[in-house]
Amino acid sequence: MAAVRKIIRISNLKMTEIDLSFIDKIVEKIGRGPEAVIPILQAIQEHYRYLPDEVLQHVCEITQITPAQITGVSTFYSQFRHQPVGKHIINVCHGTACHVKGASSVDDAFRRHLGVSGDDDTDADGLFTIQKVACLGCCTLAPVVQIDLVTYGHLTSEVVPRVLRDFLELQKRDAPQQKREYVIGKQGDYAEIRVGLGSCCVARGSGKVYDAMRQALIDTGVQAVVKRVGCVGMCHQTPLVEVVPPNGPSFLYARVQSADAKQIVLRHFKPKGMARKISYSVSKALENILTDEAWEPVARYSIEVRDPPVAAFLGRQKHIATEHSGHINPTDLEEYLQHDGFKALNRCVNELTPEQLIEEIQNSGLRGRGGAGFPTGMKWSMVRQASEFGIEKSVVSHSEPIVGQVDGISAGERLLKSELKYVICNGDEGDPGAFMDRMLLESYPYRIIEGIAIAAYAVGANEGIFYIRAEYPLALQRVREALSRCEEQGFLGNDILGSGFSLHLRIMEGAGAFVCGEESALLASIEGRRGMPKLRPPYPAESGLYGKPTLVNNVETYALVPWIIRNGADAFAALGTEKSKGTKVFALAGKIARGGLIEVPMGISIREIVEEIGGGVGSDKRFKAVQVGGPSGGCVPAELAHTPVDYEALTAVGAIMGSGGLVVLDDSDCMVEISRYFLEFTQDQSCGKCTYCRIGTRRMLDMLNRLCEGQGKKGDLEELEQLALTVKQGSLCGLGKTAPNPVLSTLKYFRDEYEAHLEKRCPAGKCKALIRYSVTDYCIGCTLCAQHCPTEAIAMTPYQKHEIDADRCLRCGTCKEVCPVDAIIVCS
Amino acid sequence: MTFIKMTKLTIDNRKVEVESGSTILDAARKLGIDIPTLCFREGFQPSTSCLACVVKIDNRLVSSCATVAREGMEVESETDEVQQARRTALELLLSDHVGDCMAPCHSICPAQMNIPRMIRQIAADKLRDAIITVKEHIPLPAVLGRICPAPCENGCRRRFYDSPVSICLLKRYVADVDLTSEHPYLPSCKPQNGKRVAIVGAGPTGLSAAYYLLQEGYACVLFDEHEKPGGMLQYGVPKDELRRDVLDAEIGLIEKLGAEFRLNITIGEHTSLKSLQSDYDAVLIAVGELKDGNAEQLRIQAPGNRIKVERDTLKTDLKGVFAGGNAIRRRNKISVRSVADGKTAAISIDQYLSGLDVTGPHHPFTVRIGRLAEDEIQRFMVDVSGAGRVMPSSGGALSRHFSDEEARAEAIRCLHCDCRKADNCKLRDYADVYKANPNHYKAERRLFEKYIQHPNVIYEPGKCIDCGLCIQIASEAGEPLGLTFIGRGFDVRVGVPFGRSIAEGLQKAADRCIAACPTGALSFKFEK
Repeated sequence: MAAVRKIIRISNLKMTEIDLSFIDKIVEKIGRGPEAVIPILQAIQEHYRYLPDEVLQHVCEITQITPAQITGVSTFYSQFRHQPVGKHIINVCHGTACHVKGASSVDDAFRRHLGVSGDDDTDADGLFTIQKVACLGCCTLAPVVQIDLVTYGHLTSEVVPRVLRDFLELQKRDAPQQKREYVIGKQGDYAEIRVGLGSCCVARGSGKVYDAMRQALIDTGVQAVVKRVGCVGMCHQTPLVEVVPPNGPSFLYARVQSADAKQIVLRHFKPKGMARKISYSVSKALENILTDEAWEPVARYSIEVRDPPVAAFLGRQKHIATEHSGHINPTDLEEYLQHDGFKALNRCVNELTPEQLIEEIQNSGLRGRGGAGFPTGMKWSMVRQASEFGIEKSVVSHSEPIVGQVDGISAGERLLKSELKYVICNGDEGDPGAFMDRMLLESYPYRIIEGIAIAAYAVGANEGIFYIRAEYPLALQRVREALSRCEEQGFLGNDILGSGFSLHLRIMEGAGAFVCGEESALLASIEGRRGMPKLRPPYPAESGLYGKPTLVNNVETYALVPWIIRNGADAFAALGTEKSKGTKVFALAGKIARGGLIEVPMGISIREIVEEIGGGVGSDKRFKAVQVGGPSGGCVPAELAHTPVDYEALTAVGAIMGSGGLVVLDDSDCMVEISRYFLEFTQDQSCGKCTYCRIGTRRMLDMLNRLCEGQGKKGDLEELEQLALTVKQGSLCGLGKTAPNPVLSTLKYFRDEYEAHLEKRCPAGKCKALIRYSVTDYCIGCTLCAQHCPTEAIAMTPYQKHEIDADRCLRCGTCKEVCPVDAIIVCS
Repeated sequence: MTFIKMTKLTIDNRKVEVESGSTILDAARKLGIDIPTLCFREGFQPSTSCLACVVKIDNRLVSSCATVAREGMEVESETDEVQQARRTALELLLSDHVGDCMAPCHSICPAQMNIPRMIRQIAADKLRDAIITVKEHIPLPAVLGRICPAPCENGCRRRFYDSPVSICLLKRYVADVDLTSEHPYLPSCKPQNGKRVAIVGAGPTGLSAAYYLLQEGYACVLFDEHEKPGGMLQYGVPKDELRRDVLDAEIGLIEKLGAEFRLNITIGEHTSLKSLQSDYDAVLIAVGELKDGNAEQLRIQAPGNRIKVERDTLKTDLKGVFAGGNAIRRRNKISVRSVADGKTAAISIDQYLSGLDVTGPHHPFTVRIGRLAEDEIQRFMVDVSGAGRVMPSSGGALSRHFSDEEARAEAIRCLHCDCRKADNCKLRDYADVYKANPNHYKAERRLFEKYIQHPNVIYEPGKCIDCGLCIQIASEAGEPLGLTFIGRGFDVRVGVPFGRSIAEGLQKAADRCIAACPTGALSFKFEK
């Protein structure tokens, strides 16, 4: 064992001591094999906030990890930083929804305000480090930034200074921040006050609302249970609070603030004893005087499930993966059991043979929800039949003495086959504009565990791994909690439910590489390597993790399995179209009235989703297209909005089902810029292995950048299309093969916009190089634009029409935002 | 008895049978189809990164190096579509390639002399090797070393730092040392092949053509109307610029090689082009600048006093008649160009007389860095002398020349812009075969990088195609640090962990890495 060493580090004239004994401890805990590298790096970064070189060298000295491995891995994943960071980290979300709502202006504004320019990312005081993140999964709050753990939504470049001020004040007030413990009340005859605690709700302050509700009950002495529940899906209305009396109709409150808590409680419950009521009203009156707060009637927030918009949002949905949406506490195992939890697993392990189970899944028509839509039953069957020795059936003679034979399969055979197999839950959701997996993991961890356990039983695996993005801390926390509860209660571990079947599940935190959603890259990552895909075949079903047969399914796929087993394959197959059965969860965001997380039956049309569930794009805008499937998908134009949600139908129009991001675009979105945006993302996420993807996507991006900058020339579109087709056909893995889709689909449906860019016009008025802002005669000379312009491109001329200096103008749009009379227009 | 299981498939409709488990690439090679491979190397895990080896099966492009052939597979390999995809892969790699195949001086030299190699040989004091390098393209280096206007020095990248390397004087130095040595260099000649070439005009073009034709085994007869050979070198250039004993000595070497001179003979008077055509297997007209009436005398078409030739081959309209030198050009009448024409004509004549297609010399595929970014020149200033251009101290005003020390001091100023693996680069070879256009994809270029800390190795990341072979080799060799991919995606680079140098990364496996490197990213410092 290496002795405890201390290294004195001198950087920026500051002397820092690095205590290496910490490393010895974490290595002791995590392990010394090559596969331990990512967890070790994550622990180092959590401790030091970056990866000091001398620490990494020390890791190599005391483990089997080589310098080449640790350098290769730590520079591959975006999570890892090799330079010290500022005190606070500002993560600017550049997900699709944020992008179309102006994330880059917000990013620019932060940089401008902090004086961070060029390649720098940290301000001069070392207080803030600003970085781009692919997607925070809070699409309905777009544009969003996260400063440390505080999330700010619906930002404009204008409010950026206020956000920074607010954050710093919060630091002063809350420091040291205490970790809040939520005590969950017992259910009974009491009324329930349900507070949504999905990430979107939390981001909008539902944690405080939860505390305030509890405080309100204490203050008023009302007997009720405050309960946290998973995502309701109505992310456009967060934070959501539902009051459910023991009998009688429930009430839903949207956009609740902690200050509203007492009002809500008082509206539904009588305080215990008049004295309390009086003292309450006195203190409330005092409070109002002290805070000088405009106390708006809380009824304003009240929404009824019967209200047409809510009915429309919820009415067309069908909850299977999201069953009991908004009713159950995500980590309460007992409640899950009360709602038929683990019944399906019990039936599988004690009543069905793996073959019967696989047949059931095959009959349901379930296809992989990760994007490609491979038939799930067939995949399970391939893994079931795969064995290292290429022998498909029984390896142990049945005439030998057998202990614990189940349905003709000997325990020996099961052991021999299954000890060589793995089952993996792919929760590396990385598409910008998609947050289905995050929500499912946060809200239904037990359901997903049950689905995985059923799958493991079907294929004969005893080891399983939950691969979840490190960017989803809440999901990780809840799955971790759920796993340990399941182990305690015998739903995981050895001899599950007395069946003799064993399954051990562990969590692997993804380190920030979109390509790891590709299964061969995901496996490389679990093995502690750079997440580089490899040529398939062989598929993971034959040769996966450590060369063993491995089942990799997506979170949503597993979440659907228990329902299918409980309700039967036919019930599932009754939903949807001929080839696409059941339901699909979508993250609905973009230019839409009601965004959120929805689960709809397959076969529903895009138009129904956009207009009925989402409430359309608003009266002053025109619905232009829906981007389906994120950076691997394509745009479905409004003319084709009758296209049903169906794997084949979506592929036929040039999109893909993908993992389920639906971003609605209106006439202010430039399709060339949208495809540039997606390509920028995939190009940045390319692992760099194969030429077509590594350089091909970059060259496509070069061409799109030139188009957006007005430098395109005749022949460029044909050149772009040709290269896109080659990259699509020739790339090694799914990332490269699908990266050209956004370009090809927009070239197909919106070629006129591309041609306009060749003529140096941007019809949507988005591409900065091709537009200019100008002031119309409606200007009243209020000087607001001049006051807010970050570059003094507008001279202050009170009571006169203002003018914009095009050379100084950044095209940030602030003037347009602040103008009270809409006198600023964009020309192209 | 061992039973080997076989797999039958077709490639471009040709049947082939291979041992089961073989790849499509194995099967193609069995059929003699040359599928380009850059990242693949026998005995290593295929990395399937370059994708130059794609073939088409079931409407998909797959890497032939890693795809196992299956029974009944129908593979498309040499179709237009597949070739286009391969070309795209090569063009994409080239669009991100920072490095010159040939140094700018070499590219600009009309005679295409390999200047950086000559300079390295001078610096290493291998002057015999240096004269061989020179004479591969220039048969009269002592002459040109005195009178050449040195277009190469305009191309020399060193001029962006201070002033160009004195290439012309270095060449003169090499030639003078050789010429005054006991046994000046004479190339070896193939056995006589019985064919005879008549060369009209014994000036720089004719002498040069003879020098190269003689080496290929042709008999050469040079006709000249003057009493001495040398053409304008003999009768045009002032004597204080070019001493005639130097000219005569270099002509003497060509004569020694077997050239026959028939002097004081004027075509049109003493003999005719027609009779030369019938008496000889081929004719080269290298009479120098045409005066009025010369063309009529030769009975050859010469509109505007220039004999019309095919640019690449120097063929005239007359069968078996070639022309070169100042007789074919209006501008740029410099002797190095005439010398270059002589070699071009020799190659074309050899092709013609060997019954081959007459295509002239092969111009290998070449990528160029082109214009440098501001201050980028500093990145070339590694392992070179920072001293200014050396002024020779010996010789008169018109004929300065280097001493040994001065030559050495000047030689170490060379930036060695050339690629050390120019003759052994798979990217270059296949780009040539596939006629790839290195400028197809316009892109912002990365900055030049060159690392020379290793005693034997030069590492130029700009030429790396990220195949990872060196990483595999270093790892298998048990290098304590080794190499690794650093970063991700477009910015991924091969490097040594913890920012250490290549010298520390490659302590054992450098030779093997260089041998495996498909491009010039890893190369030996010293030519073997």
